[in-house]
Amino acid sequence: MSEHFMGVDLGSTTAKAVIIGADAGMVAWRTVQMGAVSREGMRQAVDGALESAELRRADIGRVIGTGYGRRLVPGVDRTFTEITCHARGVAAACPGVRLVIDIGGQDSKAIAVDRDGFVEDFAMNDRCASGTGRFFEVLARALECEVDELAGLARSGSEDLEVSSMCATFAETEIVSLLAQGAEPPDIAASVHRAVAARTLGLVAQVGKRRPIVMTGGVAKNAAAVHALAEALESELIVPPHPQITGAYGAALLALETYEGAPPRRAADLERAEESAAAAFAPQSSPSCADCEVSDSTARSVVLGLPIPVRRP
Amino acid sequence: MVADYWENVFTARERGQQVVWYNGSAVNPIFQAAGLEWCHGEAFSARLAAQQLEKPAQLAAEEYGYIGELCSYARTHLGCAVLTQQARSEDQTGVVGLIDQQELASRLPAPDFFVNAYAGCSTGQQWDEISYRVFGKEVPIFNVSLPFLWGNKPDSGYLRGREWDEASQYVARQLHDLIAFVESMTGRPFDWDALREAMTYIKRASELRREAMELCKAAPTPATYWDWIASIAHINFLPATQELVDYFQAVKDEIVKRLESGIPGVQNERYRFYFDGIMNWNKLGWLAKKFAAHDVAMVCGRYTHNAFWQEPHLIDTDDPILGMAQHYLLCPTNHGTKTLKYLTNRDCEEYGVDGIVFHASRTCRAFTNPQHLLAKAAQRELGIPSMFFEGDVADASFYKDEILESRLVAMLETIDLRRSRATA
Amino acid sequence: MTQPSAGALSTLIEIAENPTGYVTRWKTATGGKAIGAFPMNFPAEIAHAAGVLSVVVQESREPITSGRNLLTEFYCGYTRNLADQAARGRLDVYDGFFLADHCIQLLGAVDVVREEGNRPVYFGQLMASMGDPWTRTAVDGKMLSFREELAEFTGRTIGDADLARSIRLFNENRRLLRSVFDARRAGDATFTSAELQALVKSSMVMDKEEHTALVRRALAEARAARRDGRIRLHLSGHFCHAPRPELLRAIEDCGAIVVDDDLFHGTRYISTDVREDVEPLAALSQWYLDRNVSVPCPTRVQHDVDWDAYLLDSVRASGADGVIVLMAKFCEPHMLYYPELRKALNAAGVPNLLIETEHEGLPLESVRTRVEALLERIRHSQLANA
Repeated sequence: MSEHFMGVDLGSTTAKAVIIGADAGMVAWRTVQMGAVSREGMRQAVDGALESAELRRADIGRVIGTGYGRRLVPGVDRTFTEITCHARGVAAACPGVRLVIDIGGQDSKAIAVDRDGFVEDFAMNDRCASGTGRFFEVLARALECEVDELAGLARSGSEDLEVSSMCATFAETEIVSLLAQGAEPPDIAASVHRAVAARTLGLVAQVGKRRPIVMTGGVAKNAAAVHALAEALESELIVPPHPQITGAYGAALLALETYEGAPPRRAADLERAEESAAAAFAPQSSPSCADCEVSDSTARSVVLGLPIPVRRP
Repeated sequence: MVADYWENVFTARERGQQVVWYNGSAVNPIFQAAGLEWCHGEAFSARLAAQQLEKPAQLAAEEYGYIGELCSYARTHLGCAVLTQQARSEDQTGVVGLIDQQELASRLPAPDFFVNAYAGCSTGQQWDEISYRVFGKEVPIFNVSLPFLWGNKPDSGYLRGREWDEASQYVARQLHDLIAFVESMTGRPFDWDALREAMTYIKRASELRREAMELCKAAPTPATYWDWIASIAHINFLPATQELVDYFQAVKDEIVKRLESGIPGVQNERYRFYFDGIMNWNKLGWLAKKFAAHDVAMVCGRYTHNAFWQEPHLIDTDDPILGMAQHYLLCPTNHGTKTLKYLTNRDCEEYGVDGIVFHASRTCRAFTNPQHLLAKAAQRELGIPSMFFEGDVADASFYKDEILESRLVAMLETIDLRRSRATA
Repeated sequence: MTQPSAGALSTLIEIAENPTGYVTRWKTATGGKAIGAFPMNFPAEIAHAAGVLSVVVQESREPITSGRNLLTEFYCGYTRNLADQAARGRLDVYDGFFLADHCIQLLGAVDVVREEGNRPVYFGQLMASMGDPWTRTAVDGKMLSFREELAEFTGRTIGDADLARSIRLFNENRRLLRSVFDARRAGDATFTSAELQALVKSSMVMDKEEHTALVRRALAEARAARRDGRIRLHLSGHFCHAPRPELLRAIEDCGAIVVDDDLFHGTRYISTDVREDVEPLAALSQWYLDRNVSVPCPTRVQHDVDWDAYLLDSVRASGADGVIVLMAKFCEPHMLYYPELRKALNAAGVPNLLIETEHEGLPLESVRTRVEALLERIRHSQLANA
């Protein structure tokens, strides 16, 4: 029986790898920014996680790939979509969750989760980048600042400006034109955040709003975006401390659960695991800007829970 | 007047009045004669958009499953229908705040029955069929089917030919059936005298409106397209009374006065434009100011000048049904491009137009259909340039303001250059 | 007109992919006239009886260029492509055009065909409100007008005997195709969904007698296969034009098998026969009305039939595990009806997924992600309920 399992989430702008132990506890994780789907970024994430965990590839019993580049993951045992993986990872980290809003680099999703932690319904933006991480990149470029600085900027904005186009291509023109009219960058940033939240509300409407709501994906690290969305939804949003890796974590859990030699788990194990999950992924509802600076690679050995029974094929 | 009308609709239930929801043509004189309160779906959506109140309804629609590319009139109205229906069953929607939900639901009284008489756009009839389904197929509905005036035969054209005559008769027959249906809904015999009286007021109001429009061929124009937009509600669905006639008399008097005192609709009128497209209810003021700021007088347009009881001579006040049927067919989206080219070019010539602005309205294909062909025809046959901008009837998210600005400036520069060359 | 040496199925696929090539060959061989008929309800039997090849104009694969300047981008892929085909002279192979359906976007495109070309374009509007006391009379009038127009177009009278013969040939073709679709519902997997689409699409293009013979050959040549253990799906929607074959293949490649559909390029087109025991024109009117009962369509308004109920019945009958709704982006009747479908499917616990299609390209990776997520969801619930 192998002791370790890996989930690799190859998204549009970042690669994430998570290693868990046979008890579902997280052993190591690594995220790598690449700016595009890249094999190299994925290799760095996988190697980095292995290095942190002081493991070799051969020590990993099963690897599950997810994300847009899921088929590019070498040695992958099977793939799951990021929809299934996000639902799985978030349901484990935040037991009882009913709605996951995941906003990544190029797409956004609303995933309704049933009481057992399974995907009940989902909606994705199609080809348009409005309301995604890409949209914030456009905003940062137009305002000539870093993406990380947007949240701080947005929080100091007070005036509500009309951003007439939500198309990522035309938004840049709109923003430049607002600047030309003398609008203040903080007001523009705040207005764009509100506009993105309104767009996301539409996505949520497609699957139906339900609580509790967890937000994941890179944009969940932007406190202003979370705040604007919470206001639009008129609801508290739970953001796990490492919202970018819930998909990879879900993939790792699925690797464990679909592993041929997985040991049968007793109810007591599950209960203990569930308790530690809540502590380890300790969700918070109002992230401050300090939370945006999540360190990229930290080897941790904590036990994460599995609130739903292990199922083997 | 308009506020009073809506207040009347909103309080219909309290006053024990029967309410009919209808879409498309102005069949309201029939409802007026039958003693009903009438609520026009498109007008209600337009009103929400004009008051910037459309978002909760559109969100409720999205939650129910309507995609954002669907006709925003339909989407907004169906959102309200969903909320009204939910209020009946005391359900709560997830995404629309409870206060917005209650507010909207209380505004729009549930219908006792539907009447659909939609010309031009196929979506119109389908929309009410879906409203009927949203209300659990329990509210009776009557469909008037209005044939599209394709204008294919050698003898066919505006107000003429076999196609026009046959369609007029076909619709007139259906209006008689509609009246029988209304009688069955109210349980009262229909008051034909009341209909004749209502149509007499409408005919007079329309004549005054057309006479006033005619005065705007003067340069500079005393009133603009935007002024005519402001009186759409009146001519389209307000009760047909002496008050309506007085209103349009006052409009005409005002225009005469402006002409006499040399007060233009736009200060420094330098360009005269034609506006083609359905109205941009949520950007009305913005658009009016935008064009005025560039010294553009929008003198006329398809939506205002080729719709809304625009041919009053067709109405026989003693026997108004045929003339009513004909006006329902004369919706400006119910003609093939052949006829629309004739109407557009005619108006452009008569009003001395320098350029055409096409509002390509994202979710209204009925209005957008012939626009590129019309633009080509105006350029080819009259040498009139045109510009396009994308917007929408009731969904503000489709605008790209900067593009409109740069295209407008570019077109004005072209017109200036051509003028300077002509005088050189 | 077809290559006798090729396998019959590949010939049919080739014709489905290149209708213009077939029409050109047919015209050369017969010296006859061909008309382009726009979807979905033109009674092609009347044209056939007049000796005319009536072809349902198909979406072409070319990127839209000239047409961009004729119809704006927020029209469905089919109508935008039609305008483009007209502007580029791709429809010149047709001697005339016939339309029976009032769809506002389609009318916009057909107006471009009329304005940009020099061929006759006839529009006989079949009323869409199916249950009014005057519906039947109005439809009868239109059928008569189609006969008059086609007589004028061809310069020959169309007798009842000609019409009855055409109706028999069309019925035979529909019956044959239906037998293939019925077999699929019952567990046959001889043809992939892309191949079935080619069978129907080629029927929309070809002379019916020739098509029937070719399909018979294809059936005889095919090696029978039974359905395997893949997840069973029903494909719903997509009117007027065909969803791309590569989309159908992508869905099946994700680990699904299509067991039924209500697509226009599928069950919907072949659903209803014309009665042979009544006067032919009256039979065609009845066919138009019956069609919406066989497979309800959101482009029609009819209170006593429900597409949602039809869909649930189909899913139960075929044993489909889930439904993929294929929607041509911007198709308004479909957008209007979709929430009713979703509500019914969700209430019945049938997992479902909406995929919108456009003329330009197919975001295959995004489609795969969504289809796979649907299949994962179905598999999960199957395991949970096991």
